[in-house]
Amino acid sequence: MAEHITCQEVVELVTDYLERELAPEEASLFEQHLNFCDGCIVYVEQIRATAATVGRVREEDVPPETRDKLMTAFREWKRS
Amino acid sequence: MIAYKFLRSDGSSVFSSFAWPLPADGPGAWVEAPVDPCRSGIHACRVGDLPYWAGRVLYEVELDGEIVAQTDKLTAARGRLVRRIRAWDEQRDAYTRMCADRAHELIAAAPPEFAHWDTVVEPSIPEGPALLGFVAARIAEEIEGTPAAYRAERERQTKWLAERLGLLS
Amino acid sequence: MTAAAPACRIPVMDGTRYEIASVQSPPASASADEAELLARLREGDERAFEALVDRHYGTMLAVARGYVKSRAVAEEVVQEAWLGVLNGLDRFEGRSSLRTWIIRIVANIAQTRGAREARSVPLSSLAPEGDEAAVDPDRFRGRDDAFPGHWRHYPSDWQALPEQSLLGRETLELVMGAVKDLPPAQQQVITLRDISGFSAEEVCDALDISGGNQRVLLHRARSRVRSALEEHLDG
Repeated sequence: MAEHITCQEVVELVTDYLERELAPEEASLFEQHLNFCDGCIVYVEQIRATAATVGRVREEDVPPETRDKLMTAFREWKRS
Repeated sequence: MIAYKFLRSDGSSVFSSFAWPLPADGPGAWVEAPVDPCRSGIHACRVGDLPYWAGRVLYEVELDGEIVAQTDKLTAARGRLVRRIRAWDEQRDAYTRMCADRAHELIAAAPPEFAHWDTVVEPSIPEGPALLGFVAARIAEEIEGTPAAYRAERERQTKWLAERLGLLS
Repeated sequence: MTAAAPACRIPVMDGTRYEIASVQSPPASASADEAELLARLREGDERAFEALVDRHYGTMLAVARGYVKSRAVAEEVVQEAWLGVLNGLDRFEGRSSLRTWIIRIVANIAQTRGAREARSVPLSSLAPEGDEAAVDPDRFRGRDDAFPGHWRHYPSDWQALPEQSLLGRETLELVMGAVKDLPPAQQQVITLRDISGFSAEEVCDALDISGGNQRVLLHRARSRVRSALEEHLDG
């Protein structure tokens, strides 16, 4: 088992860390690294901010003609 | 049992941002957390863990309930901050300086091909004790060529801290 | 941080170890909400159907786009999927969430349609191909440098930027574009996770992919979008 990990390794592990999928030993090394590395703290925060910004994207609205088609189909389904 | 905990200057945990009840006239309130080593629980350092988690402010913490020992920390079900270790406030910069001086010392005694490892040492000082502790240990490991050298340098750091801060070992 | 019940005198930390960097999921469809819509739908409530369509159409379209070439075909696939939902209502047992079931339906139809179009097998049904570095390796010190693998220069702190930079319209449009530019499988996963708020388990269930596969796709997607954001914010 490694004694420490590099910043390059941190940026590859960040998703697993946020998903809580790192093994305990790996999670320890990850957090030890963040404890001394301001650059990686900033990077992890960038990933968090990226996900949050993606979260502001709105899903597309239903186009009016599609809505009409779907409601018609629903009424037909209901009758059958 | 007695252990140690580094917190941010505002008394919050580094990774969970949890605001710890601080000691006033006596220990702070007990905090509870289910123990699940990778996910939850009160984290604390044994003396040997301190160099790995060096932070802004150091507290003595009392742990209770289920306590799980991991390679680099303890995880407990209950904990409370007993007292702030003022000696750390006083010694933090000296510790950082000690690690930097160790790094220089190791490189000066090593073959010239390691000379370029010296350049990051002084510029790293503003980032503080955690970084310099890593720098010194990493340099020791690089020169010696073994992970044992990394651990040995960390043990040196632990000894220094135990002595200067008057901690139980 | 999620708080203990107010009656509890002792503050409780629950699974907050990753709080410093935890990702806030967008508000997910409450399952009680889903149960109500499902019940009304089974009774033939037209408003319930419309509400369900409004809620899931965009997500279904995004998922369909991962398998078929054109937007027009994707729209057809989504409409077909809604019929599939109605016809399958009796069979839905509630073992997965309703939305997972709906996405599985559209994914299956889209996949079949995509295969018929002689498109190459969609990436989400394969292990993610090859290597893709989250960050350009040049950003890190090299093998012959001191401290190989560490940042040459730290990335910049976005929290130090004016609030509008991250929260503004321009940034949002850039991010939308970056998501649209992603390889299909990555786009599907980041849409389901970070836009539509599906859990990791729901995504694996809906797209029929492994947990590991899902994480790799999410990782690559977020890394690419971060990169695009960085260029925009730093440039």
